Amino acid sequence: MINIEIDGKHIDVENGCSVIEAAHRLGIAIPHFCYHKKLSIAANCRMCLVQIEKAPKPLPACATPAAEGMKIYTASEQAVKAQKGVMEFLLINHPLDCPICDQGGECELQDLAVGYGGSASRYKEEKRVVLHKDIGPLVAAEEMSRCINCTRCVRFGVEIGGATELGQAFRGEHAEIMAFMSDTVDSELSGNMIDLCPVGALTSKPFRYSARTWELSRRKSISPHDSLGSNLAVQVKNNRVMRVLPIENEEINECWLSDKDRFSYEGLNSAERLTKPMIKQGGKWLEVEWQVALEYVANGLRQITQKSGAEYIGALATPNSTLEELYLLQKLVRGLGSHNVDFRLRQSDFSTDSKQTGAPWLGMAVADINHVDRFLLVGSFLRKDHPLLASRVRQATKNGAQVNLIHATDDDLLMPIVHKEIVPPTGMTTVLAQVLKALATAKQATLDISVQEIVQSVTPSATAQAMADSLASGKRVAVLLGNFAQQHPQASQLQLLAQHIAALCEATFGFFGEAANSVGGYLAQAVPFSDAEKHGMNASAMLTSQRKAYILLNVEAELDMQNPQQALSAMSTADMVVALSAYKHHATGYADVLLPITPFTETAGTFISSEGRVQSFKGTVQPLGEARPAWKVLRVLGNMLDIPGFDYNNSEAVRDEVLVGTDLSAKLGNHLHGVSAQAETFDVAGLQRVSDVPIYATDAIVRRAASLQKTRDAATPRALMHSVELEKLNLQSGETVKITQGHGSARLPIIADDSLPHGVVRVAAGHAVTAELGAMFGAIMVERA
Amino acid sequence: MEKITNFFKTFLLLELVKGMALTGRHFFARKITVQFPEEKTPQGFRFRGLHAQRRYPNGEERCIGCKLCEAVCPALAIHIETEERADGTRRTTRYDIDLVKCIFCGLCEESCPVDAIVETRVLEYHGEKRSDLYYTKPMLLAVGEKHEAQIAKDRASDAKYR
Repeated sequence: MINIEIDGKHIDVENGCSVIEAAHRLGIAIPHFCYHKKLSIAANCRMCLVQIEKAPKPLPACATPAAEGMKIYTASEQAVKAQKGVMEFLLINHPLDCPICDQGGECELQDLAVGYGGSASRYKEEKRVVLHKDIGPLVAAEEMSRCINCTRCVRFGVEIGGATELGQAFRGEHAEIMAFMSDTVDSELSGNMIDLCPVGALTSKPFRYSARTWELSRRKSISPHDSLGSNLAVQVKNNRVMRVLPIENEEINECWLSDKDRFSYEGLNSAERLTKPMIKQGGKWLEVEWQVALEYVANGLRQITQKSGAEYIGALATPNSTLEELYLLQKLVRGLGSHNVDFRLRQSDFSTDSKQTGAPWLGMAVADINHVDRFLLVGSFLRKDHPLLASRVRQATKNGAQVNLIHATDDDLLMPIVHKEIVPPTGMTTVLAQVLKALATAKQATLDISVQEIVQSVTPSATAQAMADSLASGKRVAVLLGNFAQQHPQASQLQLLAQHIAALCEATFGFFGEAANSVGGYLAQAVPFSDAEKHGMNASAMLTSQRKAYILLNVEAELDMQNPQQALSAMSTADMVVALSAYKHHATGYADVLLPITPFTETAGTFISSEGRVQSFKGTVQPLGEARPAWKVLRVLGNMLDIPGFDYNNSEAVRDEVLVGTDLSAKLGNHLHGVSAQAETFDVAGLQRVSDVPIYATDAIVRRAASLQKTRDAATPRALMHSVELEKLNLQSGETVKITQGHGSARLPIIADDSLPHGVVRVAAGHAVTAELGAMFGAIMVERA
Repeated sequence: MEKITNFFKTFLLLELVKGMALTGRHFFARKITVQFPEEKTPQGFRFRGLHAQRRYPNGEERCIGCKLCEAVCPALAIHIETEERADGTRRTTRYDIDLVKCIFCGLCEESCPVDAIVETRVLEYHGEKRSDLYYTKPMLLAVGEKHEAQIAKDRASDAKYR
C-alpha cells in the first residue's frame, strides 16, 4: 500500500493504482474523456491533467501511477489552467451547435465545457470536417466531426468486443475513426460504443432525434432475453418506452448491455401488438370483450376436461415468461387435473427428467467466469447466445485462461481457442468420452460404472488428449454446456459425460441456460415431473401424442419449438388452442382464442438468471390497449374454473408463494443420478441438420425489433455445407436448393462453409423461412430446387 | 390665529374652490386615454405578444427541435415531438403552445438558439373556445409568415443589446 495526498486528503492505494482512480475513491472529480475504468489507458485526451508536487509540468491523472508520498492538486491554478487550455483545444474542432446534436443534455464534453470552457471561442479559422459514415443499423456515425478522438470505441472493440471493428486511421489533423474490417460494425455488443462515446459522434440510430434525455423517466427492469439477467434502465416518455440503457451491476452485466437487450424495445411498440381479446368464429376473427373471451376459454377447458379428461389438456410456455406466469400456468393446468406443462420447448431429450439433482444452472456466479483458467465448452454458440458471458470468457483468456471447445460448428468466438473438436452432432458423445478417457488415464482414476461402457469403446484422439491435458493442468476449471448441448437429442449423455469430466478435474459444472427464466421455470414447477406422484407429458410428448386443447403462453409454435412441423400439425388438429400472446402472429392460423398479454415492460414479474439470481421488476409503462399482464389473466381464469388458491392481489404474492421458505441453492443442481451412458450413438443416415437459433430470432420481442432485424446477424438464413459435400451432390455454392425434412421443405441458397464438419447441413431454426422444416437435429435432405 | 382661519374657511369655501380648480385643470388638459381599437399605444421592439415560428428566407423552417424552449418554459405550455427528417436533420412533427397556460415571460424566445420561436407585437387575438388558444405548428408558422417583416426588424433593433 502506498499513501498519497490528493487536495489535502490522504488515501492508501495499492501499487499501480492510477491517480484518477485514487481521486475517484476519495470522491474528487477529475475531468476526463478518454479514461474509462473498464478500458485500457490511452491518455490521449489530456483533459485529466493535474499538478503533482515536484513534477515540472502537469501530468495526466489517468496515466500516472500513484507513488509513495505523492502530493496531487486537482484544482490548483496550474491544473485548472492546463485543463482549460486542453478544453479550448478540444473545442477548436468540435462544432459548437449543441442544440442540434442528439447527445445534447447527456454529453460529457458539454458538461465539462460549462466548467472549463470559455464563454466565447477565440478560434476564427476553418473547422475540421469529418465525413459521416454508415456503420450499420444500430450505431449512428452521422456526425463524425464531433469526434474528439478519445478512442474509447476503438479500445472497446479490441478489448471487450474482441474485434477491431472501428479503428483510427490517418494522423494528426486528419485522424478519424472508421470501420476497419468491413463497412459496418456487426458486433453483438456494438451498442455499448454509444454509451462510451463522450460526445455525439456515435449515437443510437433507432433512438436518434426522437427524444431528449431530460424528458425521459428512468425505470429499472430486467432483461427478458438471455439467461444473464442484465439490469436495464428503461427510459419512458408519454407511456412509451423510448430506449433502454444499462444499469451498472458489477456482478452481472458490469456496465455493458448486449445489443439484443438494448435495442429489443422497438419490438414492444410493434404494429403487430395484440390489443384486444379475439375469438375465431366460423373461420373469422372477432374482437370481443375480456369477459366473453375468458368465459369461452373456461367453458372450452371445462368441456374437454369432462368429455375427454384433463390429461388431454397441454400447456406450453416460453422460458422468457416470468416466474409468476409460469407458476400460475402450471397451477391452472394442475388444478384442472393435468400435468402436461412444459417450458423447455427446444429441448429434445427428456430422459433426465426427475433424475437430476435440481434445476440446471451455471454452477457458479457469473462474476467468477473471469477467474476460471480452463474452460471446456460443449455445444455452445457462445458469442451469439450469451454475448456478455462470452465477453467474460474473453476477459478470462486475456488473463491466460485456455478455452477448449467441442461443438458442431466453428463460428469465430473472437477469442483464442486452444483446442477444438468440430464434429457432427452424432459424434459429440464420442469426443466427450475420449476426453474423459484421456483424463481418467492422466489422473489414474477409476470411472463410475455408468460411463465405463462408452469410455471403453473409444480411443482418445490427439485433440482429445490435448484437451484432457489442458483441463488437468488447470486450477480453476469450468465445464460448461451450451444451448446446443441442451437441445441435442443426446443431451443426457452429453451431460453425464461432461459431469464425469468435471468431477475428474474438480471443475465447476454448469449450463449457460437458454433464456431469462430457464432456471425459474423449474422453480415455478412448470415442468411435467415436478409432482413426484404423477408425471405429465413433456413438450415433445405433448405434440407427438395429440392433445385436445393447448394453452400457449408467449409461444409461437412454428418458431419456438424443437420441431415446428410437428408443433403446427398438433396445433391445427387440436379442438381448442388458447394463445396468450403479446403479438398477433401465426397463431391466427391455428388458435381459437387470442388473449392479449403484456411484454415485460408492462407487467411486474421475476426472472431467475442462470446463476440462480432472483430478480424482480415492476412494470415500466401502462399495458397497451386492452392487453393485461399474463399473471392476471391466468389468475382470473383460475377463478372462473373454480380452482382453489387463485386469490392473489399482486404479482409479489405469487412470487412469495413460489420462493418464500424455499432454499434456492438446494433447488439448483446439475448432477445426474441413475443415468448410464450407452456406447452406441444415435445414428443419422445421410446428411444431418445442425441448427442454431440466430441471435435476433430467439423470442417474440426481438423478432419484431425493427433495427435488430436489419443487422447482419438477422439476415435471412442460408443453408451451409462443407464444399466436399456440395461436390458430392453436384451443387454450386450460392445455388438455391430444396431442403426437406419430414413432409416439409424450404428453399434456401446453399453456401459452402469448410469450417463445418462433413455430413452436416447447417440451417437455422426460429426463423419463418425454415418454419416448415422438422426438428433442429436429425436427418435432412438437400436436392437441387 | 388658527381659530380665525377656521372661521373664514367656514363661509369662504376655499377647499371647494381648490378642488374645483383641480377638476377644471384636468377638464381642459390634453387627454391621454387611448381610443382602442381605433388608436393604439406605441410598442417596444421587445414587446411580448402572440408567438410565431419563423422561417429562413429560403423557406426552410428555423426550428431544429432542440426542445430548449420546452425545457425552459415555466408554465409547461410548450409540447414538442421530433423525428429525423429524410435529409438527416431533426425536425418537429408537433410544436404546440397552449396560450391559456402561457405567461408571456419570453424565456422560450430567450432560449432559442436559432430565433425560431419569437413573441410578436400581436396582442389582438382571441378564441371563442379554450381550444382556439391551443396553437399548433402550422398556426404558429402562419403567424410568423404574416408578421415576418416586423419580426425581423425588431430582432435587428434588439441585436446590438444582446
